[in-house]
Amino acid sequence: MWESYSKSYLKNNRASSLSIMIAAFLAAMFLSLLCSIAYNLWAYEVEKITIEEGSWQGRIVCHMENNPLSMIQSFKNVEKVVVNEDLSTKDRQVLDLYFENPRSIYEDMSVISEQLGLEEEAVSYHSLLLSRYLIHDPKAERTPLLLTFYLSILILMIVSLILLIENSFQLSMNARVHQFGILSSIGATPRQIRICLLQEAVYLSVLPIILGTLLGIGVSLCFTEAVNFLSADLSGRHKAVFQYHPMVFAVTLLSSGITMLFSAWIPARKLSRLTALEAIRNSRGSQSGKRKHSPVLSILFGIEGELAGNALRVQKKSLRISTVSLILSFLGFSTMLCFTTLSQISTRETYFERYQGAWDIMLTIKNGGGTDFALTEELQKISGIREVTVYQKEMTTIFVPNYWQSQNLLALGGFGAVSKVSGSEGGFWVKAPVVVLDDNSFLRYSSQIGSSQSLDGAIVYNQIWDSLNSNFRKKEYIPFLKEDIKTTVLSDREQSGQEMEVPILSYAQKLPVLREEYDNYGLVHVIPASMWKNLHKTSHIGETDSCIRIFARNGVTLEELTDIENRAVEALESGYQIESENRLKERLDNDAMIRGMVVILGALCLLLAIIGIANVFSNTLGFLYQRKQEFAQYLSVGLTPEQMKHMFCIEAFVIAGRPLLITFLLTVLFVQFATSVSYLEPVVFWKEAPVIPILLFALMIAGFVALAYYLGGRRLLNCDLKDNIYQ
Amino acid sequence: MELLKCSGVTKVYGKGENRVTALNGIDLCVEKGEFVALTGASGSGKSTLLHILGSVDKATKGTVTVDSVDLGKLNARDGAIFRRRKVGLVYQFYNLIPTLTVEKNILLPLLLDRRKPDTEYFETIINTLGIKDKLSALPNQLSGGQQQRAAIARSLIYRPAILLADEPTGNLDQKNTKEILDLLKLSNRNLNQTLLLVTHDERIALEADRIVTIEDGRIVSDQKRR
Repeated sequence: MWESYSKSYLKNNRASSLSIMIAAFLAAMFLSLLCSIAYNLWAYEVEKITIEEGSWQGRIVCHMENNPLSMIQSFKNVEKVVVNEDLSTKDRQVLDLYFENPRSIYEDMSVISEQLGLEEEAVSYHSLLLSRYLIHDPKAERTPLLLTFYLSILILMIVSLILLIENSFQLSMNARVHQFGILSSIGATPRQIRICLLQEAVYLSVLPIILGTLLGIGVSLCFTEAVNFLSADLSGRHKAVFQYHPMVFAVTLLSSGITMLFSAWIPARKLSRLTALEAIRNSRGSQSGKRKHSPVLSILFGIEGELAGNALRVQKKSLRISTVSLILSFLGFSTMLCFTTLSQISTRETYFERYQGAWDIMLTIKNGGGTDFALTEELQKISGIREVTVYQKEMTTIFVPNYWQSQNLLALGGFGAVSKVSGSEGGFWVKAPVVVLDDNSFLRYSSQIGSSQSLDGAIVYNQIWDSLNSNFRKKEYIPFLKEDIKTTVLSDREQSGQEMEVPILSYAQKLPVLREEYDNYGLVHVIPASMWKNLHKTSHIGETDSCIRIFARNGVTLEELTDIENRAVEALESGYQIESENRLKERLDNDAMIRGMVVILGALCLLLAIIGIANVFSNTLGFLYQRKQEFAQYLSVGLTPEQMKHMFCIEAFVIAGRPLLITFLLTVLFVQFATSVSYLEPVVFWKEAPVIPILLFALMIAGFVALAYYLGGRRLLNCDLKDNIYQ
Repeated sequence: MELLKCSGVTKVYGKGENRVTALNGIDLCVEKGEFVALTGASGSGKSTLLHILGSVDKATKGTVTVDSVDLGKLNARDGAIFRRRKVGLVYQFYNLIPTLTVEKNILLPLLLDRRKPDTEYFETIINTLGIKDKLSALPNQLSGGQQQRAAIARSLIYRPAILLADEPTGNLDQKNTKEILDLLKLSNRNLNQTLLLVTHDERIALEADRIVTIEDGRIVSDQKRR
């Protein structure tokens, strides 16, 4: 049948072949893009793990005297054994093992450890790296779902593409049901018809699949470069290098081939099952005899509205994919933008606005072994620095007897009711973060809160969040303790168990302005450095990192701040291990990260929109043949070309309008939900809502649908319909 | 009164070697209230002439006037409006819109004009055609005969100047053929409806007042029977 029928049909019906070829091309491109991006993400992940943790697969810790190197090396599957000099000590040797076939690592390592007479704890695996190669511990109770996840996405994509392409085949095949009826009546078997249709599918798909796959690889390369470009300024991120493997190409071709064959097979099977009589009569015409009624369109646009509505209902199944993908893409795009806006507002309100006045540059001295508070004076000499505060943070706990609680707290039901944490008998343990300030800063803080100018005690931040009557965004506070307690005992309960008694100078309702966030139910103790030094002589609580908070002049530029940061680091780096942060740079990094996320997710939404729009195109253009008869009928009862155009406009309006309307409603619901769970005033969001990009995207969808209808409609109206009156 | 007049109507399809002359200098006049049967073998040009008379197609040469309207001068829009108001077209395969009820199908030409139907006339038509109880049904829920009655009702709803029927009984059994012919004759007699019926069936042609025979695009005989 190929030589006698299909070849000439394909030659003479290029338009219907074209929609199949476009569908195959798009399907292959999306699958290729998906496979290539998935492979690159995987490769990047492996690279990252290797850089951060090394590429070893198995690790053995043993004593030096055993010297098992040669013995391990003699194992057939062991590729190499390397002594890890960084982790090895005088007494024990750490050996990193690499295997030729890591799939049997769990079996081989247990044999090796058994032969070396090692304990179970002496053997470890680089399970993170191994899991990336889908190698998992057979004894593990739960199998990781990574492969299932990847396969699920691939299958989901294939199924959605099958539904999309199947429609193109369906349209092409339905257009010649009558022809197959004739073939069947002269003796073509259902199998012959099926094979003939599948042969056509293969013939039409081969070139588009190859081209689509190549384009998908190209888009993936651009995607990788775009990600690199957008995250170029992010510190600590290593650059992604585009990679491709022949196996990925094979998987793409295979999945594209399966997609195309399956897409063609579904309508081919249906068609081959029709009897010759059914096919000749074309009883599965484009317009079924089911009751269709579109009251809304009928009221709005009259009889043209009703006819358009009925036609859309008839096409409902084939338009479903385009509707779903248009909704998904638009919804994805709009919710992503709204989410980003919400997240920006939240970050600004909870972080940048809260800490905007709290720092310009933060220097963290790692493992300082005690804080040198004299650094304040040294740094103050650097020009451009307005104020320097050196402080140290420690975490202690404190036992609060029930009778210490303030009247306000007891009125709310006590600490347990507010914090939802149950205490022990007679009282409860709470965290007591300690902030050690250099003496000058402490005195400055004392004067700010109106406390006595003394360095012989701590100031306790005596506030607790009233979680029963306020939310986390607009917290209201009440006094935590009665203010007649003169001494507290801080305990290093979780570490050394040591305790220190701290005299209380006063209680405060305000904390020193530092870039610090404390637990909701903590009792922060602000202690002067001199007193901390004395307390430390008797008790060695803490010894963690120290922080230096630097303020530059108001309205400082990024260049100026970076210069000050460099000079401050320069001044300290000879004696200390320093980590520095710059508020303006951090904000730019944050903005760049959000921008990058928007661009990447936007690109994905755009891809979804392209699927939807491609489907509308294929439907509109493909329906040309099926709808010739329908429009010939309209012609015979006197429908003018203007009325037909009006019908097209109504159809386009519905096709584009429905996803837009649904998306607008869902987006509003999403925003309402998101603002209510995040306790954000909706009006704050709506003032900054990303209306313009959303409207632009909506216009783009509407524009493409209109264009598809314009092209399809023009072709339909320009062709000679009178012959179809007799079909 | 002369309702339809064709003068030297020629229709040529294709060019060069593929040139086919479907109609070759047709001259034809039809009086108001006349029932004319247009007969001829398959491919003789009957349907082509009917298309031109219904403004679905245009003549290559010659003029056609229906109810004083020169069809050659109509553009696509005016042609459609002419077809809607002046001509009732009835086809072998009914050409009812499958998604509209029988009632909507019948009223479609009026609805396209945003006009309200004349209830009394509508009742007369549906009673005469015997489809009153089928108004809310969809076309595929009707038999072939019933569908053709609905198609005739649609063609009559605008009180057209002329009813053009192209093999209207070609898809029907003998009983339904007789009934449909009787209905067409009834509309011709009772409503003084001008009727041009295309058929290749001699027995059906004999029901008409006048039989015009076409061969190879030319009128070869024009016989008045009454």
